[in-house]
Amino acid sequence: MDDKAQLKLQAYLDGELPEGEARELATGLAQDQEAAALLAELRQTRDAIAGSEQVRALPESREFYWSKIQRAIERAEAPAPQPAGVSGWVGALRRFLVPVTGLALLVVAGFIATRGTGEPTSSLETAVSDPGALVYRDYSAGATFVWLSYPAEDDNAKQDDEALFD
Amino acid sequence: MAAFEELVARHRDKLYARAYSMMRNEEEAIDLSQEAWVKGWQRLRQFQGESSFATWMTRIVINLCLDQLRKQKRKRAESIEEMDDESGGVERQMPVITVNPTAGLERVELRERIDRALGQLSYEHRTALVLHEFEELEYKEIAKVMGCSIGTVMSRLFYARRKMATLLADLKKQE
Repeated sequence: MDDKAQLKLQAYLDGELPEGEARELATGLAQDQEAAALLAELRQTRDAIAGSEQVRALPESREFYWSKIQRAIERAEAPAPQPAGVSGWVGALRRFLVPVTGLALLVVAGFIATRGTGEPTSSLETAVSDPGALVYRDYSAGATFVWLSYPAEDDNAKQDDEALFD
Repeated sequence: MAAFEELVARHRDKLYARAYSMMRNEEEAIDLSQEAWVKGWQRLRQFQGESSFATWMTRIVINLCLDQLRKQKRKRAESIEEMDDESGGVERQMPVITVNPTAGLERVELRERIDRALGQLSYEHRTALVLHEFEELEYKEIAKVMGCSIGTVMSRLFYARRKMATLLADLKKQE
């Protein structure tokens, strides 16, 4: 018997063959002793195994086993701890204070840079068209910094802001 | 939670036994059965009574066992014996067992012998047998659970049964 025939025999035993093929195979068994013997072995093994799974008692007490499950459930359901100051008004205040503090530092740095020379090396201005924007220019370094006092419009920027405080 | 604890108490042995049948390791079976209970709690809303609660939980633990077995297989090299056993055609060389090796055995002894023989199969063959004979799944359901083709399920089941017949006959000879 080839592999295909043997697997077909097994499928017949397990009721997985279409009706027509099952009838045809059953008819052929009467003339095929090899197939009949193999089918008998497969049926014998199947019948021995079915419903004969080893009975096993869990080797832990009810209380101990349950306590571990309960703790795992409680851990899984506990809310994730939030970093301090990220949420609510504290987070908003931080987001406002960071650029303002940075700006103040730049102003101080500009003041220190101009002391003793009498000549301005930097300037601080507010754009008339956008009062929320503060522009600091450092002429000696050739750099311009723009601070925006309002949050960006899209969600990604909000997430990026919060990520700064992680 | 108290009601769930009662369900755990009622079905814990069966769930552990199924995990052990697949993993053949007490510690892993305990851990995976506990993990299954946690998942069962988290998915309680998804249980709609299409099957019994015990069957539903058993499917969860079976999937966890299969995930763990796949991880273990990736980590370890297959044994030479397993490679020989799984190479095509080995089962055709096994002589047909004509005398029933389990005839006359008491139920307790039968279960013990079958359990010993199951322990000697590779995890793929054992899983196919457990899912078909103990879980009573059809070929296509087994294929879905194991993530393989129906043809592969049929081959594995065929090999597992032939190997079991030989192993049970050997155990009878040792009497």
